[in-house]
Amino acid sequence: MIAPHRLSVKFFFEDLSIDAESFIPVFHRWIRENVVPNELLLDVADYKHVLDGPAIFLIGHEADYVVDFTDAKPGLMYVRKRDAGTDLADALDTTMSQALHGVKLTEDDVELKGKLKLRTDAAAIVLLDRLNYPNAANGDGADAAAAVQAQLSDNLAAIFGEDATVTRVANDAREPLTFKLSAPSAPDVDTILSQLGSAV
Amino acid sequence: MSNIGWKDVLADEMPDDLAHEIDIFEGQMELMGQGKLDEKVFAETRLRRGVYGQRYDNGQRHDGFESRELEFEELDRIKGPDTLWHAPGMMRIKVPGGGLTSEQMDVLAQVADEYSDGILHVTTRQDFQLHFVHIEDTPDLMRRLASVGITTREACGNSVRNVTCCHLAGVCQTEAFDATPYADAFAQFLLGHDDIQDFGRKFKPAFSGCEAEACGLVMMHDIGYLAQIKEVDGKPKRGFKVFVGGGLGTVPHQAKVLSEFTPEEEMLPEIQAVSRVFARLGEKRNRNRARIKFLVAKLGIEEFRRLVEEERKTLPHDDRWTAYLDTLPHYEEKPTRPPTFLNGQVQNSEFNQWLETNVYGQRQEGYSVVTVNLPLGDLTSQQTWELSDIARKYVGDNVRTTVEQNIVLRWVSDSDLPSVYEELRAIGLGDPGAGTIVDITACPGTDTCKLGIASSRGLAGELRTRLTAKSASLPDAIKDLKIKISGCFNSCGQHHVSDIGFFGNSRRSGNFKMPHFQVILGGKWRDNAGSYGLAVGAVPSKTVPEVVDTITSRYVEERTKGETFQEWIGRIGKKEARSIIQPFMKLPAFEQQPEFFSDWGDPRVFSLGDIGIGECAGEVVSLFSMEISPAESEAFEAQIALDEDDPARADALAYSSMLKAARALVRTQFLDVGDSPDRIVEEFKSRFFDTELFFDQYAKGKFGQYLLIRHRNPNPNPDNDSAHRLIEEALLFIEATHACESRVGGNVLVEI
Repeated sequence: MIAPHRLSVKFFFEDLSIDAESFIPVFHRWIRENVVPNELLLDVADYKHVLDGPAIFLIGHEADYVVDFTDAKPGLMYVRKRDAGTDLADALDTTMSQALHGVKLTEDDVELKGKLKLRTDAAAIVLLDRLNYPNAANGDGADAAAAVQAQLSDNLAAIFGEDATVTRVANDAREPLTFKLSAPSAPDVDTILSQLGSAV
Repeated sequence: MSNIGWKDVLADEMPDDLAHEIDIFEGQMELMGQGKLDEKVFAETRLRRGVYGQRYDNGQRHDGFESRELEFEELDRIKGPDTLWHAPGMMRIKVPGGGLTSEQMDVLAQVADEYSDGILHVTTRQDFQLHFVHIEDTPDLMRRLASVGITTREACGNSVRNVTCCHLAGVCQTEAFDATPYADAFAQFLLGHDDIQDFGRKFKPAFSGCEAEACGLVMMHDIGYLAQIKEVDGKPKRGFKVFVGGGLGTVPHQAKVLSEFTPEEEMLPEIQAVSRVFARLGEKRNRNRARIKFLVAKLGIEEFRRLVEEERKTLPHDDRWTAYLDTLPHYEEKPTRPPTFLNGQVQNSEFNQWLETNVYGQRQEGYSVVTVNLPLGDLTSQQTWELSDIARKYVGDNVRTTVEQNIVLRWVSDSDLPSVYEELRAIGLGDPGAGTIVDITACPGTDTCKLGIASSRGLAGELRTRLTAKSASLPDAIKDLKIKISGCFNSCGQHHVSDIGFFGNSRRSGNFKMPHFQVILGGKWRDNAGSYGLAVGAVPSKTVPEVVDTITSRYVEERTKGETFQEWIGRIGKKEARSIIQPFMKLPAFEQQPEFFSDWGDPRVFSLGDIGIGECAGEVVSLFSMEISPAESEAFEAQIALDEDDPARADALAYSSMLKAARALVRTQFLDVGDSPDRIVEEFKSRFFDTELFFDQYAKGKFGQYLLIRHRNPNPNPDNDSAHRLIEEALLFIEATHACESRVGGNVLVEI
């Protein structure tokens, strides 16, 4: 299966004792200190004024890091925009790996440490590519979505534990194709990251 | 899944002409990639497709400590002068008259989340802008928009920009008639027209239905149409009072009357004639004087009118001039639901507050216009398709964007208002306060604009938060004041026509730059942007909330019964107005208040002086700082003289203020310049203008020319208009002098 135009993964905050604005200086520092290997970080965009949406963006060339409040579920979303690989499996590996690195960076950040915690037992995965991955309820599009779901399940179980499940979110057809990861036995970020090399 | 693209998928859904144009653009992108197109040609090409540059696209970004290179791949690949191919840019999407269908909203939402950052931004020209878009995504983005009848053609570049029209047109209580179908006809006629392809600069049209309301703001447009009905042979005849040569920008001009009454059948041939005159006689080499306002000012309105009338006689007939008139009797908007009434149903206080500010009773009984108050003009993709669902349910395709960066739902049946309110609230779009002091307009500023000096959006967000928090206790007198903010002198936030306006600039304190906003008071939004405010002084960005509090408190305390803000400012005069903000104009040292040296929402140190570490000392100020101060005072005195109806003195003071500023700058290199105007100008020209040290990155030598031209050609009989213009030019010249000194760095210090 072809790599989607964009692919995003959102991990949810378990605890968040700071407001969105606190991420602005952190993200500016990340740009200055070039903290993400192999990614070019460009700018910070402040949309905290929109309700229940993406609040603060760390805009990058390859990917964006977003403090996101969509559906009243605060989380850190990683949006891979380019150079993720040639097929869906590559794109998923790249995106998941970098998203988890983003989680670790956030949790360990000198200004954020102790003020937030991200969960690894759940995530939202979105294929932002309505051409190749339409969010269709029936027909070829639905078959393709089922195939994507199967691939995600296989790949993610290897990372998040055998009881990890991937289910398709029944959202509006205009929205992008979205899946929900549930991983009750998921280890912590460090463990997952250490396993990633052998799993992918 | 296959290798087919949007081009194939949408082939049958795109109009042929739009599809072809997008293919051509994609081909030009390819040629540019192969180095076979001139960079300037490609830049103008993409601009005319709405593909705009964005901040940092030259590959440089200041991180608060130093300017650093952004290491994009293929650094030698460009999409225009000093613009890297791989740097993200902005996509501007034209929405004539702001009119949207639900289907178009859905597609806009989808392209925003696939190609942008999932945020749709409504502009002050009723456009949408998407930011952080990669150029290689733009052809497909355009195709998807084209499939629902939206074009980005001529959204930017030297072309006819989006045609704006009052968002109440057709349902307004006071309009002469609905200008909407005329605005549509105008937009369709001129889109891609041969006669608009050789403009030296952009050209902005607007349509209004009412004279006394803000409506389409025709007085500040390149061309403006005010609907009029005239009795001809005993029968009512539709037409327009036509204005030309208005504009904000760096030097605002009020439009002049081109025609007291242009009958509807003459509207299109007349604009074609105007276009030909502008294309033929408008400035081409100096883009800073290339807007039609400069041509009208140079020729005089009588001569301009004569040329247009002569040109009109030579035009070959075009059936399109009048073809649209046949469709007018059939033009109508269809409500989705029958008219109903609220009938005094008891509602909660939140609803009543929203009803008071966000709902306008249409002239059609039983229907209202609901304004969706967008914070800073933004909404998310998700909100957009949720809003399109609300529109489908209650109003169908009767949706428009507004020039105050909001969206309106028209033809809401009145008994539906409580439900509409609850559904808007549920998606985070139920804020009250539309059109009031909390509904602040702001251009993108330093967030994304290459020209931004200060953070207009950061400031607008801060003011909105603070004013909303105390909105319940705000005095009635100030609730409806307009606050509009631009990030620089280019006026995209329309600060000239607000009660309290701001535009971004900077000042130096010690070796650091500090973000500032020039305060503009007393502009008029009503009467189609009836008059412009004047600058009263620049204050540090971080003081602006206090400045707003202070100004509004004084107004509340001192206003007489029924006195408007403009009238109050007029009564107290500019001098007193300046005294109100004077306490905020002091510049603290970095060590005293470091927070003043970063902008709203941006923790980076705003700028570092070029003098370097070690020369920063709170006890020392530069000679330049000492000498520029009188220049600023004199410019202010010029404004007072203008208020006192003494244009000759105003002209002389404005000129003198420029001389003083130039002298201050010259003396950073040559102390013995003396006081002779000829010598000052000669030294300024040779040292700063001819060497281009004075040149702004984007405005180039424009501001320096203000002094050179005035020195070379003194006006023997200045009138109020010309004096006003010279004052504006003097203020900009002084700003440019500050900027130049900051860049070049003075080396003469005095102890105080």
